[in-house]
Amino acid sequence: MNQFNEDEIGKLLRLKRHEQPPPGYFDNFLHEFHRRQRDELLRQPLWRIGLQRAQDFMFRLNVPAFASYPAAITAVVVCAAVISLKVYQTPETVNVAAQNRAPVITTTTLPDSAWSLSKPVTTRDLGPSLVRTVKDSSHTHRVAAPPRYVLDSTLVSYEPAFRF
Amino acid sequence: MEQPRSDEDQQLVARTQAGEAAAFDQLVVKYTPRLYGLVYNMTSNHEDTNDLLQDVFSKAYKSINGFRGKSSFYTWIHSIAVNMTLNFLKKRGRRFHLSLDDMDASVQNDKEFLELTATSSPVREADLAELQGRLNEAMMKLSDEHRAVVTMFHIQGMPHAEISKILRVSEGTVRSRLFYANRQLQNYLDEFRKNPVS
Repeated sequence: MNQFNEDEIGKLLRLKRHEQPPPGYFDNFLHEFHRRQRDELLRQPLWRIGLQRAQDFMFRLNVPAFASYPAAITAVVVCAAVISLKVYQTPETVNVAAQNRAPVITTTTLPDSAWSLSKPVTTRDLGPSLVRTVKDSSHTHRVAAPPRYVLDSTLVSYEPAFRF
Repeated sequence: MEQPRSDEDQQLVARTQAGEAAAFDQLVVKYTPRLYGLVYNMTSNHEDTNDLLQDVFSKAYKSINGFRGKSSFYTWIHSIAVNMTLNFLKKRGRRFHLSLDDMDASVQNDKEFLELTATSSPVREADLAELQGRLNEAMMKLSDEHRAVVTMFHIQGMPHAEISKILRVSEGTVRSRLFYANRQLQNYLDEFRKNPVS
């Protein structure tokens, strides 16, 4: 016994066109559509109705056609802003390095007799021999870079970890 | 099934976009029977079809201002209907019941029905209700995407090119889905041929 061929399947399926909704269904469909639209409108908050009306207004004015120029200008302005921010935020390495070559600690020393509680505390001058200068080789990282707090990777305690 | 004139639709769309709601009503009246057939044959449930169809027209009305006429209104509204139905079917999953419309009396005079009853013994022996049940069962065994293609091609009589536009897939994909679906339907309906009265 042969199977239904493709043509027969097509014919059988086309019989489904005769499956029709109850009489009057299509006549009432439009009324039902209007009723649902009204219900939906009443359920919407006021701000959404306003937004929709604004959108409709924009579409009628064909705002998207005009919107291409401002959008392009805005894009250019944003790009320029981003680039300028990057330029101004680059660190001034040369200036900072020059400043660091100057003596870091400059204090004045007083003889022991000069120490008195009645006088205000002053800083001690360590003299030119004790003035520490910062050598170029001591710069291990970029001068203007913000301080980095790197935790040491070695263990704080050398006691063996308990393993259970 | 004949495709409606697109210039007439275009005018109705333009009037709707200009704010004339009555023009959209004309589109609703015009497309309801056609879209009903499409959604009904994909869901096999009258109540679901009614709700979906209301949502389809509601969505179309809300987004009609975005319709720029790149495709015909016919293709556009069918795309909305098919996509919404496929989404609905995904959510519905396998929990559903058939709620079938009655076959109208005109089927008895249908030329193809008369041909089938004359040549095919299972169709001749089965009563109309049983035939309808078998067909719907077989349809519901197809995947949602395959059922959509079968509905549009066999039941709605759309050409491959139109289906490919609606589904936004190539014509080759439409043809291959149709081929696969036909093979599956042949297998399901073969049981009907072997055992016409269950």
